Amino acid sequence: MVSLDEKQQKGRRKGFSSQDMKEMLSGYLYISPFFIIFAIIGLYPAIFSLILAFQKWNGMGEMEFVGLSNFQVILSDPLFWKSVYNTVILGLMGTAPQLVIGLIIAFLLNLSYLRFKAFFRVTIFMPYITSMVAVALVFSVFFSNNETALVNYIIGLFGFDPVSWKTSEWGAKIAISTMVFWRWLGYNTIIYLAGMQSIPNELYEASRIDGASIFQQLRYITIPLLKPFILLTVFFSTVGAMQLFTEPTVFLGNTAFARDEAMTVVMYLYRDAFKLSSFGTASAAAIVLLFFIVVASAVNMLLTKRLGRDRREA
Amino acid sequence: MKGDVGTKKWGIGRIGMYLFLTVISLFSLFPFYWMFVMSTSHSSAYNSIPPAMVPGDQLKENFQKVLDMIPFFQSMFNTLIVCLTVTIVVLFISSLAGFAFSKLKFPGKNILFFAILFTIIIPPQLGLIPQYLLVAKAGLLDNLFAAMVLFFLNPLGIFLMRQYVTESVPEELIEAARLDGCSIFRIYRSIVLPIILPAFATLGIIVFTSVWGEFLWQFTVLRDPESYTIQVALASLNNTFKVDFGMLLSGVFWATIPLLIVFLLFNKLFISSIAEGSVK
Amino acid sequence: MKFKKLLIASLSILVLLFVAACSDSSSDDSGKTADGEEKITLNFWMFGATGYEELVKEYEKQNENIKIKIKTSETADHHNNLFTALSAGSGAPDIAALELDQLDRFRDAQDRFVNLYDMGANDIKGEYLDWKWEIAENDNGEFLMGLPTDIGPKGLYYRLDVFEEAGLPTSPEEVSELIATPEDFKKAAIQIKEKTGKPMVASMEMMYRAQLDALEESYFDKDGNLLLEESDNGVKEAYDLAIDMNELGLVGNYAMWSAEWANGVDDGDFAVELGAAWFKGWMESNAPEATGEFSIATLPTEYSGNWGGSYISIPKETKHAEEAYEFVKWLVSPENQLNSFKSNGLFPSAPAVYDMPEFTEASDEYFGGQSTQTVFAQSAQKIGKVYKGKDYTSVHDEILAALVNSQAGADPEKEWTEAIERIKTKLDR
Repeated sequence: MVSLDEKQQKGRRKGFSSQDMKEMLSGYLYISPFFIIFAIIGLYPAIFSLILAFQKWNGMGEMEFVGLSNFQVILSDPLFWKSVYNTVILGLMGTAPQLVIGLIIAFLLNLSYLRFKAFFRVTIFMPYITSMVAVALVFSVFFSNNETALVNYIIGLFGFDPVSWKTSEWGAKIAISTMVFWRWLGYNTIIYLAGMQSIPNELYEASRIDGASIFQQLRYITIPLLKPFILLTVFFSTVGAMQLFTEPTVFLGNTAFARDEAMTVVMYLYRDAFKLSSFGTASAAAIVLLFFIVVASAVNMLLTKRLGRDRREA
Repeated sequence: MKGDVGTKKWGIGRIGMYLFLTVISLFSLFPFYWMFVMSTSHSSAYNSIPPAMVPGDQLKENFQKVLDMIPFFQSMFNTLIVCLTVTIVVLFISSLAGFAFSKLKFPGKNILFFAILFTIIIPPQLGLIPQYLLVAKAGLLDNLFAAMVLFFLNPLGIFLMRQYVTESVPEELIEAARLDGCSIFRIYRSIVLPIILPAFATLGIIVFTSVWGEFLWQFTVLRDPESYTIQVALASLNNTFKVDFGMLLSGVFWATIPLLIVFLLFNKLFISSIAEGSVK
Repeated sequence: MKFKKLLIASLSILVLLFVAACSDSSSDDSGKTADGEEKITLNFWMFGATGYEELVKEYEKQNENIKIKIKTSETADHHNNLFTALSAGSGAPDIAALELDQLDRFRDAQDRFVNLYDMGANDIKGEYLDWKWEIAENDNGEFLMGLPTDIGPKGLYYRLDVFEEAGLPTSPEEVSELIATPEDFKKAAIQIKEKTGKPMVASMEMMYRAQLDALEESYFDKDGNLLLEESDNGVKEAYDLAIDMNELGLVGNYAMWSAEWANGVDDGDFAVELGAAWFKGWMESNAPEATGEFSIATLPTEYSGNWGGSYISIPKETKHAEEAYEFVKWLVSPENQLNSFKSNGLFPSAPAVYDMPEFTEASDEYFGGQSTQTVFAQSAQKIGKVYKGKDYTSVHDEILAALVNSQAGADPEKEWTEAIERIKTKLDR
């Protein structure tokens, strides 16, 4: 880096100069608010959960140390693995498309010659603003099991049989994925838009003069330069997808914790904690989930990194 | 208008683009529209098959019922305070930390940065009881501060800010300031802050709307109806068996309008900062 | 310039935080009455549409030194919140409503509730239905968790036009006589199906509950043992009954509480509901078009169970146990149970109310002017003891899932066995 060389050229003493010390202190100081708040409100629950994973506790009485047996119970429960499967599928169906389509939309919204930018930007963010209460009711009605539900009616026009959206394996997943996609598309779009601002217009202009089509601009300029933001959204979306809880719960209502078609891992552990009064196993499940999240994020990030590289070489 | 060289004015590409965006817009707006329809209709319209599509005539009546049942305006005010405070705090914390991670050198920087990732790993549903315990013991139940405190922790904010600072703030500028003998805070305040303002708009909108929509934590720590935020107040309209859907959705609809207004305001900030930001 | 903005922003934060911190620190014990007595504030958490707000206002008028703050939430939220507060040992209300099905979840936390027998509840024990009262006691009858509010005695809601079309009598007395046993019920169902093509019952859950709710020991016996694998347990019978009726085409597939169900009620798509007394509240809100189309008859004894109902408890954290108890006692007194009945249809659990003129003379417009409460009162007196067990809801959910799957075409026996497996896994926790 330029600055480091300059410093070395200036022949500073070995070790830290007072300037460096100031910088270090400032560095720690500036990141400290976050960590202090975490230490107060985040660390305690994390440690509590960690300890709890090795105990048996019903929320009210005494805790009883049970070693690894909670993990044993969880890992041998077919419902747990079903919930993992569900979570992954819902993530692929509901979250992954957001990132792709969100990118495209952000790109379009960033085009200098697009009209009605403000309108589109507002409408696309509307789902995120709409209260979850309303979203739940709306999707519940549109995707209800009956033949006369809106979605069933529409697919009936194309000659399909009505689907039991709330109680069938794929029906539930499709309905919930749609809900998740609908709700979070705008959110990711906004983040991409923010990232796109840092790409200088000159690059686009130069490429247009060279005759590049929109797709080519998207592929060779936007995506590579946006990669850090893409990595950002991929990471947070992965975590969000793995922690999916609200959408399936409100969609299914009172059968949410009784049926297994759309039970996610967090729903599974919530059920353990608040319905079965088994906080130990719930914590154990959370820890197992933690590993899955780390793995999934790492995988997704690596894939995304490689994607960019291939494109650039092309 | 900048060069449209290479693109026909109203070719297939253009039309396709507008069509695509319009479809997405309709798709995004539709449930909101239905919510509006319900807010002006009688409760039984909720069950109507096919679903009601045309606004009814119960606009005032439904909203009046809402006002009778919950402290609507008080809750709105509470929510405003909570969201505003959290947004300001998060913007402040994130930009400071983002700047530090991006431009300052200190040992353990990378490790600490990764440590941030782990702060979001415990699902909120499980952290509920210990966090509630902390708040209860601190005597902060029914206090708006308790409702806020959880949301001060926003890793996305730090990541976003760091990224933005890295990409948009030229290293040379910082170096020059250092050589001029500027204090670190001066660098932050005078150089970095103005450049990352567009990111403030984005992060601000995200944080504000996220906190506005939060329910579970607020519901757990705010039990006195006078301290309710709007989502908690609306939830108390929801009964398992005897829901008045017209009233409920009216409350929800009107609760969303201020948020929409805030968003539009932020949006203006957004647009103007885009103009500033992209032309270098 | 920007720094100024930052400064202003920071100052605003501080101001806001200050305001926020100062607001509402006075959540209890504020103010004095005219006589200079200390005012006592009681926090009352409840769920559902009870109409208690009015009663609270009246109590406050009668007792100037008491202020009661009500917090109403949706049922599940309410119980979770209560659980969280009790678990953390902090922030629980002075008075909390408990729903019947959730009661068992809190039995383990008995020590966090005031034993109402210590407050003198024995004195009013005789004023309430035995079976209702005893559910709130612990095993040895020495601890009382809550005072009874309403109950859900079941009745046969039948659709007049469907019965007529099927050639069945339509007056409540005749129907009650006609359907006096489960066999009669089945016969009527078959007749209705033949003559009108309509199913008798709307859903598997409804049919299953018909027998389930009346069992004394359903999923668990008094010692907490799971009964489902015993050879002649009542649950399997109830399950098989539902499956059987379904195979004869007598059960519809309207999901409970759904829009389709409400429309089915409106349109008369099925013949009966075996519903509790509070069910008509749901009907009135969600199926207004069916006004006058239904009447209520009594159910066979085997089907006369209880569905729902609540209690009011006093968490031990309270600093005003006596005042809280006085209020609760007043709230559920027979006179006030009559008031709750009149305003919100909460069915009284104090038999004295059944003889009160205002009760006997009430009539339901929705049911064509029938005095439906007398039917339910009869039903209420026939209900026997019921033991549910701590994990009732968990087990219940699994069986319901099995029923729904069976109706959709799965093999009922396989579903049953799998449900039991899942239940055992759950209970092992």
